[in-house]
Amino acid sequence: MPKFKTLALSSLSLAALLAAAPAAAQTFTISWWGFNGDKLQAIIVDPFQEICGCEVVFETGNNGDRLNRLQMRSGAGVDVIYLTDSFSQTGIEQGLFQPIDRAQIPNIDELYEMAQAPQGEFGPAYTIGRIGLVYDASQVNPPITSWSDLWREDLAGMISLPNITTTAGPMVVLKAGDHAGVSAYEDPDATFAAVAELVPNVVTNYNTGSEMINLFSTGEIAMSMTQDFTLAPLRAAVPTIEWAALEDGEIAVLNTLNIPVGSENVELAHQFINFVLSAEIQQQLAEEGVDAPVNTNVTLNEDQAAMWTYGEDNIARLQRIDYSLLNPARVQWLDLWNETFGM
Amino acid sequence: MKRLAGWMLATPATLMIALLLVLPVAATIGMTFGAPGAGTWGVAQPYADFFTSGFRRRVLWRTFEVAGWVTVISLAGGLVTAYVVSRCPPRVKSILIVLAVFPLLTGVVVRSFAWLVLLGRQGMVNNVLQWSGVTDAPVAMLYTQGAVIVAMVYIFVPLMVLVLVGVLENIPEDLLQASSSLGAGPVASFLQVTLPLAVPGLIVGAVLVFTASFTSYATPHLLGGTRQMMMGTLLHQQAMVAFDWPGAAVVAAIMLVVIVATVLLMTRLARRMNPMTT
Repeated sequence: MPKFKTLALSSLSLAALLAAAPAAAQTFTISWWGFNGDKLQAIIVDPFQEICGCEVVFETGNNGDRLNRLQMRSGAGVDVIYLTDSFSQTGIEQGLFQPIDRAQIPNIDELYEMAQAPQGEFGPAYTIGRIGLVYDASQVNPPITSWSDLWREDLAGMISLPNITTTAGPMVVLKAGDHAGVSAYEDPDATFAAVAELVPNVVTNYNTGSEMINLFSTGEIAMSMTQDFTLAPLRAAVPTIEWAALEDGEIAVLNTLNIPVGSENVELAHQFINFVLSAEIQQQLAEEGVDAPVNTNVTLNEDQAAMWTYGEDNIARLQRIDYSLLNPARVQWLDLWNETFGM
Repeated sequence: MKRLAGWMLATPATLMIALLLVLPVAATIGMTFGAPGAGTWGVAQPYADFFTSGFRRRVLWRTFEVAGWVTVISLAGGLVTAYVVSRCPPRVKSILIVLAVFPLLTGVVVRSFAWLVLLGRQGMVNNVLQWSGVTDAPVAMLYTQGAVIVAMVYIFVPLMVLVLVGVLENIPEDLLQASSSLGAGPVASFLQVTLPLAVPGLIVGAVLVFTASFTSYATPHLLGGTRQMMMGTLLHQQAMVAFDWPGAAVVAAIMLVVIVATVLLMTRLARRMNPMTT
């Protein structure tokens, strides 16, 4: 009876599959950008897999895409999510993350104060970056020294700004408020009048770091506003790129680690965060050019420190953004921004 | 019994269409209506919000403008090319069709990206312009409406050629010989015989190109940037970046209405203008 044989064989294999399933390794899902994949695999993923005896899988994409996917799954499907602080604030407001049990993450005590609890009871920051101005020194003269240089007439048709929907985009609005001498939150009309004055200088606005690097390397732009993690690839593409020393200070960006409400491995997620914040891992990440350290026990030599926001003094000088104010304002700014740049 | 078997055979496909097309579209449209008491326009408030925003009206108008220009230019370019191809001997014809269709074998993103390279400040077009002395400095061509139109025409002309070659080939040779024997020159034959008979094909091609340009995303995103936003890029921004799904659904619903209206209008026009039906 061949039919019976087939049926029996299928049932047997199905039973074997079902029996084998619980024996499979525990899966731990990390949601992150996917940059520096090889280095992160060697420094974080491989050693952590050995510690936990689990299999680490990834979900990659930019902040918005990943947060959106998490929201569509009501906070399930991911155990730890890497986000910049503006997007993690959105996630917190959407109720997608659970409070962190700090007793399970002793390494938090070794972090700079700014990184320990940037968003209250939710996740800590694992790295700190800056938003500032970059320019091609072979085309921009005199050098850029202030945020107000964005409005310089000699830079007509030479600038790309981060779109309002990116992490750095709303900072353009805040700086336009400063330029106009008003608070962007209180007087959006005067602020956006100053943003409109930027239009002749702007070629297009970019959505991703790689888009901005392309604009520089094809000669479309000679100046932009960006986060410092883009500096290394930017210089590799255009060696004459300079990070502007701004007399009116740069803006801090904290990248955070959070545990979504639907995480199925909460204990392991705490263990992972503690692992990433340890001095040993933070040291390796900084030395390999992946992330700036926030653990105070990390020591870097002058060359290694040159590319990062490193040391208590430098970190203290950065301007902090209150995203609980900024995120609600951003909804209103989106339309004003579109009307300014998209008409 | 036969009828029952027919229904049963059609059931899987019908269920698939209902589950994968009708339900999602209905859910998307359902999402576009606001709460009954919200705003002066009640349930239609999200639509009122769309049309009272100068920026969104501009995006809708720009999308019409770009899709309109792309359709008209593709019609003209496609008709001339298809006419030449359809008059060629069979072997040459098949080579020309393969060449015309060749760009369709690569993705839209790749083809749009090629234009980024060509139209950039250091691109081939600017190099030729400067080398020939037409301009002294590079001309900013990217992130303009012109760049979007040029790239879309390049993408959609092969589609138009494919549609029109089939139509032009089916015009009986006898008719052209008759017009010529009655004293019509090549131009008069083309205008009075070929063109009227090609109208249904032109309309089908126009519908295809217009709807595809109206809904396109990759080309306006890459070549228009944020300053030349179209409905496709606006929809992406609303849904994936601003997390405003109802706002994105309104954009989708408006696109759907425009496309359905265009198809109905053009089909009616095609029926009216087809000389074979009168």
